[in-house]
Amino acid sequence: MKRNTTYLTLSMIAAVLIGLGSCSDAFLDPDPKGTLMEETYYSNPDEALAGLVSVYDPIGWQTAVSYLNFGAVNSASDDHVAGGGGPNDMETWQRWSNYTLNESQGPQQDYWNRNFTGVSRANIFIQKLEAGIPGLSEAVTARYLAEAKFLRGYFYFDLVRLFRNIPFYLEPLTTDNMREQVQVDPTVVYAQIEQDLKDALAVLPPTVPAATEGGRATKGMAQALLGKVYLYQKKWTDAARELAVVNGTPGGTSEYGYRLLENFEDVFRPDNKFHAESILEIVCSQGGARTWDHWGQFYGNVATTMFGPRGYSGPYYYSGWSFCPITQELYDLLHYDPRFKATVADLDSLEKNGIAQYEKGYMNTGWFIQKYAPLVEFAATSGVRELNYPQDYIEIRLADTYLMEAEALIEDGQGGGPGTRAYQLLNAVRGRVGLNPIEATLDNIFLERRKELATEGHRWYDLVRSGRAATALASRGFVAGKHEVLPIPYAELLNTQLVQHDAYK
Amino acid sequence: MKKGVLHAFIMLCMCVSPFALAAQTLHVTGKVTAATDGRPLPGVTVTIQGTGTAVSTDNSGYYTIEIPQAGATLVFQQLGMMAQHIEVRTSGAINVSLEEDLSTLEEVVVIGYGTQKKSVVTGAITSVKSSDIENQVVGRLETALQGRTSGVTITSNSGAPGSPASILVRGVTTINNNTPLYVVDGVVVDAGGIDYLNASDIESIEVLKDAASAAIYGTRAATGVILVTTKKGHVGDMRINYNGYYGTQAPAKKLDLLNATEYATIRNEASLNDGGGIIYPNPESLGEGTDWQSTVFENNAPIQNHELSISGGSDRSTFYTSFGYFGQDGVVTPEISNYNRYNIRLNSDHKVKKWLRFGQNLGYSYIKSQGALATNSEFGGPLSSAINLDPLTPAVITDPDVANQPPYSTQPVVRDANGNPYGISTNVAQEMTNPLAYVDTRLGNYGFSHNIVGNVFGEIEPIEGLRIRSTLGAKLAWWGSESFSGIYYLSAVQNRSTTEFYRAREQGFNWNIENTISYSRTIEGHNFTVLLGQGAYLNNLSSGTFITFNNIAATNFEEATFNLKVPREDIIADARDGITHNLSSLFGRITYDYKERYLFTGIIRRDGSSKFGANKKYGIFPSASVGWVLTNEDFWTPNNILNNLKIRASYGVVGNDNTADFRFVPTIGMGNDRNYFFGIDNMYIGASPNAPANPSLAWEETSQLDIGFDASLFRDWTLSFDWYQKETSGILRTVTIPGYTGLADPWYNLADLEAKGFEVELGYRKAIGDFNLAVNGNISRTTNTVNYLGSDVAFTEDGAGSIQNLANNAQRTTIGQPYNSFYGYKILGVFQNQAEIDNYTGPEGNPIQPNAVPGDFKWADLDGNGSISTDDRTFLGTAIPTLTYGMTINASYKDFDLMIFGQGSAGNKIFQGLRRLDITNANWHSKILNRWVGEGSTNERPRATLSDPNQNYSKASEYFLEDGAYLRIKTLQLGYTLPVTWVSKIGINKIRAYVSSNNLLTFTKYTGYDPEVGGGSDTWGIDAGVYPQARSFLFGLNLTL
Repeated sequence: MKRNTTYLTLSMIAAVLIGLGSCSDAFLDPDPKGTLMEETYYSNPDEALAGLVSVYDPIGWQTAVSYLNFGAVNSASDDHVAGGGGPNDMETWQRWSNYTLNESQGPQQDYWNRNFTGVSRANIFIQKLEAGIPGLSEAVTARYLAEAKFLRGYFYFDLVRLFRNIPFYLEPLTTDNMREQVQVDPTVVYAQIEQDLKDALAVLPPTVPAATEGGRATKGMAQALLGKVYLYQKKWTDAARELAVVNGTPGGTSEYGYRLLENFEDVFRPDNKFHAESILEIVCSQGGARTWDHWGQFYGNVATTMFGPRGYSGPYYYSGWSFCPITQELYDLLHYDPRFKATVADLDSLEKNGIAQYEKGYMNTGWFIQKYAPLVEFAATSGVRELNYPQDYIEIRLADTYLMEAEALIEDGQGGGPGTRAYQLLNAVRGRVGLNPIEATLDNIFLERRKELATEGHRWYDLVRSGRAATALASRGFVAGKHEVLPIPYAELLNTQLVQHDAYK
Repeated sequence: MKKGVLHAFIMLCMCVSPFALAAQTLHVTGKVTAATDGRPLPGVTVTIQGTGTAVSTDNSGYYTIEIPQAGATLVFQQLGMMAQHIEVRTSGAINVSLEEDLSTLEEVVVIGYGTQKKSVVTGAITSVKSSDIENQVVGRLETALQGRTSGVTITSNSGAPGSPASILVRGVTTINNNTPLYVVDGVVVDAGGIDYLNASDIESIEVLKDAASAAIYGTRAATGVILVTTKKGHVGDMRINYNGYYGTQAPAKKLDLLNATEYATIRNEASLNDGGGIIYPNPESLGEGTDWQSTVFENNAPIQNHELSISGGSDRSTFYTSFGYFGQDGVVTPEISNYNRYNIRLNSDHKVKKWLRFGQNLGYSYIKSQGALATNSEFGGPLSSAINLDPLTPAVITDPDVANQPPYSTQPVVRDANGNPYGISTNVAQEMTNPLAYVDTRLGNYGFSHNIVGNVFGEIEPIEGLRIRSTLGAKLAWWGSESFSGIYYLSAVQNRSTTEFYRAREQGFNWNIENTISYSRTIEGHNFTVLLGQGAYLNNLSSGTFITFNNIAATNFEEATFNLKVPREDIIADARDGITHNLSSLFGRITYDYKERYLFTGIIRRDGSSKFGANKKYGIFPSASVGWVLTNEDFWTPNNILNNLKIRASYGVVGNDNTADFRFVPTIGMGNDRNYFFGIDNMYIGASPNAPANPSLAWEETSQLDIGFDASLFRDWTLSFDWYQKETSGILRTVTIPGYTGLADPWYNLADLEAKGFEVELGYRKAIGDFNLAVNGNISRTTNTVNYLGSDVAFTEDGAGSIQNLANNAQRTTIGQPYNSFYGYKILGVFQNQAEIDNYTGPEGNPIQPNAVPGDFKWADLDGNGSISTDDRTFLGTAIPTLTYGMTINASYKDFDLMIFGQGSAGNKIFQGLRRLDITNANWHSKILNRWVGEGSTNERPRATLSDPNQNYSKASEYFLEDGAYLRIKTLQLGYTLPVTWVSKIGINKIRAYVSSNNLLTFTKYTGYDPEVGGGSDTWGIDAGVYPQARSFLFGLNLTL
């Protein structure tokens, strides 16, 4: 009896002590189980690579708006209408397409977030690299730095051409200074983009092994982008100089190994990644086997699904959501062009010939995007099909840089008659698809760009930077002096120093 | 014990077999009355001491009992009365009058780590007792509190079986999660898992409302504490109880949507208004069309609850064991909307030695539910589809010409039993699909959970009044789901070409250990109790695994099994580990009273939490409360007007650490939205910082002042009143940082919010002859105001509710206004003609709405700048009710009893967002029939238009807001208890049968399904298609052996 009491008392005391033991600070610092602390991260080469990957990541963002940087902007051009399921389907695209966008409605916030996320991650990563990452060789550090700078240049370029007046910073922002940022003159941004791209160009490798590193920054990528950046600033001589290196001898193979592919169709084959004509290629893959639960985190080409014909039954394609149908004007331009079949998915014709049927979506024209169509042949076999099309999006390709250089040369007053380099560049693009040579005039070059690069996301920028937008898009509601840029997103004006463009106030 | 069972068995045999009656059996009858006023006492237990044999007195106080032999002792017992023992020598009449036992009559209130006599409680605590909720439809614990507890606002989120409700104790406390802390028999149970409890097992629920009461739970108490005590066995006879009901349910309301003719008429009119032509040349010919609601509603959905319990005990041990089953089919697509719960409970308490007690409370539940349909979501699901689908599309295609056309002829469409395809709308797409087909694709998919929640305790009392208690509590849960997705074509948008079988398995473990020492003593009228305690808590020791087989060779859920192997590349697996949330606490409480006149309670608790950094790891939460019982003063002359009056005041500070882990250190995020592919299909995992860190992150602190009184008046009336004011400072919230930072939003102790209000509880109890009446009512008013959101931050739309394609958020949180109030445009009317548009001019004479046409809304230009912009929006009302009330009337006459329970709320608006704005051709609510059709037709509703350039239908405005007030007859129940004299003959103590109706009537002006539109923290008051509440009719039975 006495003994039992003792045991009981002892066990009670033991329980109390166990409880008291848990008062210790260690109990209040539980195992973070894989939660990574910034303080100790970036401490080995693997972590450095993960840091680099995160800077690349935003270029592959698609939802909710931009769709690999060409979906939304297609709908704003005169080559497409927004389409979709109805007048409010993808309202952000509809509003850009019919120019009813305002500071709180339109595609601006997602473009803004995509590119500033890239800028921010690049800034952080550059800071970490400059501080030194243990175990990372000097050469690899230099290459990562160059890649990060290339990407920062890419993101800032997208921002400055879409928004013109943007906040600009090169160091990671702190909670103390983040609200103090002000918009800077675009020339300041452009100067830094040029600097970043030049720095990158000096270090980046001329080529990377396609199978394992395809899509990573190369000299050619940086130089093509630098040329484009000069072109957008109308620095014609500089543009021509840089693009000439990328292009090499028209029709030949350049020093980086670029050449025009023989068959135009091969440029867009999903099974023909990182080919000789591709310069800046945004990588898509079904390897992530994405499902709807991953909304916002897709790795396949979802723009493909956006563009596909709606409610389709027939061969070749799977159904999509009927966005960006091709306008009559572009159809007429391409109809008898050798590139027609590779550019336009002619559902109208398929249906008339009894081959296929499809549901007529909003603003249906019967013509859809073929270059990035949801092809049965290449459909994903893992994950949700709609979200995993493996087509890469080629943002810059050699035909584009040929035509950009030709444009820069003409603008620089170097002439476009037979024998000139501009003439050779333009007609190399035409010759590839069997078209006769023509004189390289600005109008001819822009017309060629429209046909050659149709549906690839360049048309709207071409119209805006060449001053053609107000005329070409007048019927769509484009207002000169306003719609050349997107409004600063409404949320960015709250509790910050940013000011809206006057035209959007 | 064994002997007792034997005796009971023998007695039972005797009862049913008259031949077994032995010669020496004594036959005793009599009447039991109250000594004070001579009233008959029903329900008094009459036990033969030393045996399990017992009977109860009937409603008139009479009893009859057979005693096996002379010399046995009869014990007369009733709660609140002193027991009487009478030795029986002969047959005959024994009438007994019982004295009131003042020591046990006192109602006892659970206060956390102990109990307190209600008469000396100084905090604001509301109790719900088992008698208040038994025999009623209480699917989940929180619904038991609705309308029965003052100061607690409960709004159901959905009528789907098993759905939780939104609960606010004394209004909004924080911008974060306002769910109170649930403590079941001393074990903290997460709010999501509280549905493991069976309402029949609940002895009492106490809501600790003021800071002074809740402070004993320190850091987690700011949003209120709900203490649940499960039933225990009682000393005395063994009882077997059966309580059960079975009933049928139907939707309480059907929406008035357009039929085919009306739909076509509106489409035509809108098309003409938008510059198009007639779409449907002859709307009349289309008739009624499809009533999609009838395809989803079930008007005879069963609901049932059965509980069998055995309880009893001796003066050494008591036990309570129960088995329960609750099953409910949904009133919307019950094939995929139902809920089944099985419970087992085992509570016991043993007095091992005079100084040692030991016991345990243990509950186990298994829940299996199907809830594949989104509730209160405009994004598809059968209900949303039924609201939005056009009435032109047939539910089933019977016309062979149509059935032989695409998509029916070419796609894997879903068909009915006759092989006819279910109709696919060509007008309405997006997520909307034929509900009949949708249901077919989701059959079988289910979710489940197993919960084991319990504690064991030991208590020693080495000297009288000193108690040392140690409690170990734990919750162990497994939950998961299984679902199959087949190949189907519901529409061009909603279709699948591959199969998928998914399984999720998760488990979680929480434990806590608490040690307390308390000492109670009375010295010459000074009563005091000191409690010192220590606790350690660990939450979320959890993990989960998730697996998907793609392209599995099955066509439906029944066929699907993970034994059907698929190639490696078709297997997708994922897993997670939880990070524990640890808490370490020290606490103390002193309660004191002098002759129950002057009352004092002081509490202090110090908590350390793993959610905060070294700077702010510990928080200290003090409170004090005082009371004065005027009527216990010597100078007080007892009278029949004011029988009892206690005045109370309390003040305290409590905390809230409801934030995610590791917010105080800069962390790196990894994976999904940072990954990229290099080369051909080589995924690289990316990593980058999450959000700027805040090392000073600390507790949210809520301080609260409460002043109140409790009174008994005119003998039959009770009245309680509380006024409170609480202020929460340092509310944890993310600061929306500019998007150009490219970082996630960091967390700060930022916002301040205050809530104030009052509560009144009134009770009345009267017995006149055989007629008994008890009425309890309560009414509460609460309002909240946001006081601070950060320097220079005037408002936030974080967490603001909205619906798809609304031009602006429907809500906003602004300083000086209630949390997440409705925000939008004010409407001055409808432009009747062009002149009104031309005359609606700004300060410079310019037309304010130059592009409007007659029939468009005239928006108020609130900033007076001559144009309509987002700056013209203003506050349009609160989303959370400011007034809640409830009333229960219990009446009985002889063997009949009647209960009416009603509750309601008022003061809030509801955003009626039932129609999907981005689906232009979606069906309409019949409200559109009152649209503007010409000058003078209406000034309330705009013209029919789909292009809607004036954004009549897409600007967040008053147009969408409706009054959310309602009064609901929640329960109406009529019962009949068979006379004890009859049932005792078959060995039964009590049989009561009843019929009952739940949600019989709802009085409201609201046009949606239900005026109760709770929701997560975001969607309160936004109705995007709330699953309607069921109206049920039940038959029930209570049986006591």
